[in-house]
Amino acid sequence: MINDKFYRILILIFILLFSIKINANEYVVKKTKNNLVKFISEAPVENFDGVTNNIDGYLYFEENFAKNSQLYFEVDLNTVDTGIGLRNRHMRENYLETDKYRYAIFSGKIISYNKINEKEFDVNLNGEMKIHGVTKNVSLTGKIFLVGNELNIKSKFSVKLSDYNIEIPKLMFMKINEEIKLELDFFMMENKK
Amino acid sequence: MKNNFRFINNLFVVIFFYSVVNLHSQPQWKREETNDNIPLMLFHSTHVINMPTTETLQKGDLEFEVSHRFVPTIQNGIKNMFGFDGPANIKLGLSYGITDNLLLGLNRTNVNDNYELFIKHRFIEVEDSDLPFVIGVKTSVALNSEVLGKKTFASENFQYYLTIIFNTMYEKKIALGFVPSLLINSYLPGINKNYSIIFGTYLQYYLSPSFSLATEWSPTFYGIRNKYNSLSFGFELETGGHFFKIILTNNQNLNLSQFLGGADIPSTFDNWRIGFNITRLLKL
Repeated sequence: MINDKFYRILILIFILLFSIKINANEYVVKKTKNNLVKFISEAPVENFDGVTNNIDGYLYFEENFAKNSQLYFEVDLNTVDTGIGLRNRHMRENYLETDKYRYAIFSGKIISYNKINEKEFDVNLNGEMKIHGVTKNVSLTGKIFLVGNELNIKSKFSVKLSDYNIEIPKLMFMKINEEIKLELDFFMMENKK
Repeated sequence: MKNNFRFINNLFVVIFFYSVVNLHSQPQWKREETNDNIPLMLFHSTHVINMPTTETLQKGDLEFEVSHRFVPTIQNGIKNMFGFDGPANIKLGLSYGITDNLLLGLNRTNVNDNYELFIKHRFIEVEDSDLPFVIGVKTSVALNSEVLGKKTFASENFQYYLTIIFNTMYEKKIALGFVPSLLINSYLPGINKNYSIIFGTYLQYYLSPSFSLATEWSPTFYGIRNKYNSLSFGFELETGGHFFKIILTNNQNLNLSQFLGGADIPSTFDNWRIGFNITRLLKL
């Protein structure tokens, strides 16, 4: 009898312990036109950029940003608009090969964060960037702003095209910089699922 | 023994709860699968050499074209630089993408000072891996504002055409087009109103993303035309914002209203004329 009670209590404790995990937070990218992913190529003759608001993914963490965090973001490269239809087509078909590698993906975790004020955090990320079928380990920095119930994520970094086996067109009048700057600015909301 | 059994039973409950709780604390996000949202693009350019493809411009894009056809044939050789000494027929063209599927354009040639206002609309798109096809229509009103012995706005100076464009592609390499066309006032020197029906055909072979070869054969099926059917060959170089096309043709005309009317010399080997098209795409 005593044994039985003991087990029951033990079970209860276990359940309570594991239940704490329910406090985990999951945010998903809010589908809004305000999301911005911008690719910038700076070249002596002609700067150009590609823009999309088609980013998706999640940010998961427990208690604070860095605890057991997981994050995953993907950008639909088919939707990147450089302004000229034919150039988009070239980019898709010849360089990014989006029929095979449609998404640019970053997955990783928040390794540390720094609270600037109640609404603003600096975060350091570590993870894998997958573009054009090539995966590379990268470290990024970003900012998280609390806006009401939502998160506003901002990050700037750059990628080298050669790191991802993306050929730089030789024959062209539009020069592309080997180093592409990326600017991300998008919104996340709590996942209600 | 009984207690032991209970223990195992309870252990299962714990494991069950644990797994439920743990499952719940995994990210729940899932990708929403969507179509690729890319329009079906078979040809690269809005026209092959002279004949239209179903391609339009992305909304807000502007296409500027300068094209030449050198009137002397290559048979005189170096004497007039294979035609480069001129005279030359010149076309200036401007097209604008009103929507992704609707194009508005104005062309001007120095042949009879022709103005050609046209719209092109692509309206059927079937994305099939074996036989993708796109159907479009291009229609135009053109004015030959300076025809010898006629007033500028004389009704005989106006030309109208309607073309239905069928495009398909094989293995992403060979693009084919069939363009049945009706041209009103096909033969300008004609005294009576006249018209002709032309079966435009073309083939473009993409050697690489930037290089392609093209040919056009546009026989007049019915009606009055200039003396011969038009045959053209071209080489196309494309850079993402530009097209350069070098052309051999027996038809010296550029605007479609004039081109569809036929050629003045036969398409035999020594009758080729050299021409080129240069196109620049801009964002307005």
